[in-house]
Amino acid sequence: MTKEEARELFIDYMYGGLDIDTQQKLEAFIENHADLKTELKGMMDTREMLQHLPVESPKEQLVIMEPNSTYSSFRKWLEGILDYISPRSAFGRFGVAVASFALLFVITASITDMNIKLDGGEFSLSFGEQAPEQAGFSAAQVELLITQIQQENELLFTQLLEAAQEQQEEQFELTLASFAEYLDEQRSTDLEFIDYSLNSLEENTYYSFLERDQILEEIIETVSYDR
Amino acid sequence: MEDARLVQDFIGGNHQAFNKLVNNWQTRIHHFAYRYFANDDDAAEITQKTFIKAYQKIGSLDDASKFGSWLYRIANNLCLDELKRAGRKKSTSLEALKSAPKSDLAPDADQKVIRNEAMVLLHRALLQLPTEQRIVVIMKEYEGLTFREIAEILDESENTIKSRLYYGLRGLKNTFDSWNINKETFSYD
Repeated sequence: MTKEEARELFIDYMYGGLDIDTQQKLEAFIENHADLKTELKGMMDTREMLQHLPVESPKEQLVIMEPNSTYSSFRKWLEGILDYISPRSAFGRFGVAVASFALLFVITASITDMNIKLDGGEFSLSFGEQAPEQAGFSAAQVELLITQIQQENELLFTQLLEAAQEQQEEQFELTLASFAEYLDEQRSTDLEFIDYSLNSLEENTYYSFLERDQILEEIIETVSYDR
Repeated sequence: MEDARLVQDFIGGNHQAFNKLVNNWQTRIHHFAYRYFANDDDAAEITQKTFIKAYQKIGSLDDASKFGSWLYRIANNLCLDELKRAGRKKSTSLEALKSAPKSDLAPDADQKVIRNEAMVLLHRALLQLPTEQRIVVIMKEYEGLTFREIAEILDESENTIKSRLYYGLRGLKNTFDSWNINKETFSYD
């Protein structure tokens, strides 16, 4: 036995894990090696000292479960039923899972009127009543239809343009006539005003002449009288 | 066997069975955590978390007869998480220095002071060990678990556990020697 081998046995020796034969061999070996004896004694003293470490205990229960409720009883009963009817093997569980999914799928399909269609590699899924199918147009028919629509659109646009142009011309003529009428009215009004002004001027001039003549007569009379 | 039956009862829906499990194990888990952190509050918190986790995960326990080992594993993981989370090593050793666990055994004040100081140093010496050695020392010296049980809890080989215990005890001895503490220090008991 070497010192390292002896040290490897220390733990088993201290905790009573060696058989009698190995224990005696170790003890005999240690007796001849003072350093090992000291080391072992030191470790055993350490163990003894560790036992003096006090500890505090909890004063009350730190975690308390509530008593079973009615809900828990029902849950337990339900879980028991489910556990009873559930298969034990993984394959069985997988089978039940697939069957459950299929059943759920069928129920959902019947409730939602689900329609599944596979046509030419295309998969379609729809819900509700299926709309009646409509016959489609061929490419030539579509082209003809587009051409017809284009022609109709062109005709409609031309008619619309002509109508708009005609309406604009009528509106322009009407505006011109109104403007000419307005000018005539304005000219008449101006002429009347000029005529009235001339008459007034004439009248004023006449009265001015009369006043002048009268004044002159008075002056002549005054001068004649003085003489 | 009683634990296994209680575990089965609880899985079967009897909540009172879990209360009994808590009652049976909370002191041991509390002591384990207390020696880990040298702090009553931390020990209580770890104990509560351990049982809450056990409650949540008990369905994953394959062998009900190994409930104890399984519970220690949960507690140990929570202690390690707590160490990583809060970096407890420094704070707990300082805390342990400030207040030693109370004891009514010391007959007079002087002996009480000496005893408290010695307790503080014991705690401090344990806290100075590397974590993996400290766990093994606590599980073996205080919880009285077998090497096989410790190996199972820590998911290591028995030889690794013995090796850690050897180095742990040797480390403690060296620490005590450097502090001039020997078994006579506690001879007043």
